[in-house]
Amino acid sequence: MRKYFSGVIILALLTMLVSACSGGSSGDSASSTDTSSDASQTSSGQPKDGGNLIIGVAADPVILNPNYAGDRVSLTIDQALYAPLFQVNNGKKTFYLADSLEPSADNLTYTMKLKSGLTWHDGEKLTADDVVFTIDKILDEKQNSMLRGNFIIGGKPIKAVKVDDTTVEFKLPQVSPAFEATLVQVSPIPKHIFENEADIEKSPKNNTPVGSGPFKFKEYKTGEYVTLDRFDNYFGGKPHLDSVTYRISKDANASNLALQNGEINMKYVDPQDAATIEATGNFDMKNYSEGRLSYLLFNEKSDTGLLAKKEVREALSYALNREELIQVAYTSPDYADPAKSFVTPDGLYHDNNVTTYDNDVNKAKELLQANGASGMKLRFIVSGGNKAQEAISLYVQQKLKEVGVNVEIQSMDASAFGDKFTDPNASDYELAAGGYIMGFDPDAYSILYTTGSDSNYNHYSNKEVDELFKQGAGEADTTKRGEIYKKLQETIASDAVIYPIAYTKTIVAVDKKYGGLDEAVLKPVVIFEDLSKLYLK
Amino acid sequence: MRRLIVRRLLQTLPMLFFVSIVCFILVKVAPGDPVRSFVTPNMHAADIERIRHNLGLDKPAYIQYFIWLKECLTGNFGYSLVNHKPVLGQIVERLPATAGLMASAIALAVILAIPMGLVAGANRNRWVDKLVNMIAYIGISLPLFWLAILLMYFFSIKMHWLPSMGMRTIGTNSALDVIKHGLLPCVVLAIGFLTVYVRYIRSSTISQLKEDYVQIQYAFGSAKRIILFRHVLKHVLLPVITLLGMSMGDLVAGAIVTETVFSWPGIGSLGMTAVRGMDYPVIMGITLFSSVLLILGNLLADILYGIVDPRIKTTR
Repeated sequence: MRKYFSGVIILALLTMLVSACSGGSSGDSASSTDTSSDASQTSSGQPKDGGNLIIGVAADPVILNPNYAGDRVSLTIDQALYAPLFQVNNGKKTFYLADSLEPSADNLTYTMKLKSGLTWHDGEKLTADDVVFTIDKILDEKQNSMLRGNFIIGGKPIKAVKVDDTTVEFKLPQVSPAFEATLVQVSPIPKHIFENEADIEKSPKNNTPVGSGPFKFKEYKTGEYVTLDRFDNYFGGKPHLDSVTYRISKDANASNLALQNGEINMKYVDPQDAATIEATGNFDMKNYSEGRLSYLLFNEKSDTGLLAKKEVREALSYALNREELIQVAYTSPDYADPAKSFVTPDGLYHDNNVTTYDNDVNKAKELLQANGASGMKLRFIVSGGNKAQEAISLYVQQKLKEVGVNVEIQSMDASAFGDKFTDPNASDYELAAGGYIMGFDPDAYSILYTTGSDSNYNHYSNKEVDELFKQGAGEADTTKRGEIYKKLQETIASDAVIYPIAYTKTIVAVDKKYGGLDEAVLKPVVIFEDLSKLYLK
Repeated sequence: MRRLIVRRLLQTLPMLFFVSIVCFILVKVAPGDPVRSFVTPNMHAADIERIRHNLGLDKPAYIQYFIWLKECLTGNFGYSLVNHKPVLGQIVERLPATAGLMASAIALAVILAIPMGLVAGANRNRWVDKLVNMIAYIGISLPLFWLAILLMYFFSIKMHWLPSMGMRTIGTNSALDVIKHGLLPCVVLAIGFLTVYVRYIRSSTISQLKEDYVQIQYAFGSAKRIILFRHVLKHVLLPVITLLGMSMGDLVAGAIVTETVFSWPGIGSLGMTAVRGMDYPVIMGITLFSSVLLILGNLLADILYGIVDPRIKTTR
């Protein structure tokens, strides 16, 4: 009796606590929508100067130096701190530090002109010397830059040569149409700062970075925030905002609350949370393609050898329904476009009109029967806690059961999953859910699908595909190159190498008080391409 | 006494050595690869191998350990494999945030736990005892991250009384501001400690009340309150000293969950990032640092015991 009584009290207290909170929410949200409508009435569309922006990020930046930045947060902050040479959106170039980039007639030399009068944040001149220095340091084997591999073509490095203060020539060892996609990743680092550093990666000078972007470094409080101030001499014009702060918040739930509380003005949100944030009415929700493909991996090297047969992979594809899968994994078709080609829509020569094996249970059963594979058992590895992967695996398990295939889901720790997924010899699983972002030049995909490549996690091998990738890499004629990659997309699709699920989108919530979102250009990973264009309404 | 301290300090060294070996083995046995944290899919295998070699990660694990140990003995705790900053510097940089938060949480917990435990123990099975027990049970059963989110939702989002994240308002540096930011995480952590302390103090009070000296005080006609706070309290404080000694490790290890939820820039959140990236120099640094404090804390507790309770001194 006593125990029962205290149990009741606990329950009563808990319900009081919970209801107090939810009761508060209904009253308060009404008042907050009032204020926001007031604000929109008074605000005009004119860009105003002044104000701050707080961007929520999920981790500390690893290193604020574009030669080393590989993590999302460093890349995001570097985008405001260091101006790129140029950027590419939907195949169109926007020039930043560069003024033009022209290939020679034989496509072996690219001449780049820099804008004149460029300066670093500390007032020093930014010249061709800095660009050449940056490329040299990327190529330097002692400097551990992760961009190095891209500057090696056929075993030989690309050379950068200074012609005059604003002109740089890039000499390629062989024709490479993918060169522009390589150069787009480069943001020059200042020679006068790093000239005498033996190991740039470990240099304490990375703690007070000097860049050339719209915002300059002000302070970094470890674990708290990074603040950047307006750079008045930015070549693209003085930025509207006074400062941008990147606030570090590792817990997704907590940072969503901070967003609603106004302590963060802009951040990525998960599809699962998007509806809640949108319902507050205080945020512009921007969905945009990240150039990412989410797919189901067929491991052809598995010890059972079941998936090495094309017909079996076809049968498994027939058993699944892409629309349902998108609904299950990404909660709404708004957040993911159905995928058929292995090239993402932002990629050159992307073609989604390729062979697909659309949902047909009877065909799936027939094919399995004919290939002696009905009743087979497949192992699906999942990174525990990854919501999308877990949803995909459960859906696949249920759908394949309908065609008589048993799927055993093996959930594992994220790093164990990573080890297994990338291990070129892993043969103890058949299925996994993966995703990749490869950039706009289709040559980048060769490492995923050519025989024996380290990143060919499917262990797919097709001589025709190998040959086509080789041709595509060295073909300078755009029409011919386009045909090669169209053929590749068709071959890989009809071979059912992977089951493409969706081109996923990311969702960014931006406080409605900010304008200029379209001019700033939404960009995968780094959110905005040019933060100087954002302003307070 | 001096011999005791010297002996205990000498015992510390093999213990730390052992801790470092176990920690290193665990990190190496765990799946994952520190190189992966900066590998991108379009890096070439040869480049990845070159970076692995430059970082010394291609050597056998035991050699990596001895290299680390050698550096460690010369006072160099190495560089993070992920951001390449010195490990010691990173720990020292975050230490004030963690130590301040943990110390105030433990202090708050002790201050609340002593009267609660005493009163509950003295009124065993009455309503006060039930209430205290219930609070303790709720505290133990509630996941702290959930409690954290709940408090954050109420005090920050709904009432706007307190900030929900971080340690400072951006760009400012005032003590009052830090205290305001620290209040919620401090309360959450204190609830975590409190529930453990209360139960210790309660059971200790119950057993003390059965002692002869209490009966004699009753016989002399002392009031219950005076017996409790003047006589029993002294004895009850003994286990509190042990508890505090054991909490010394927490002072530097931080609280991974609470610090992460409140974006508190302490060692707990540094440790979590390090574990995710398999950044073993940082993991080893934090483990060793908190082991040293734990050992010192226990030593301090033992010395205090000797001072507070002369019986222990004579038995040694």
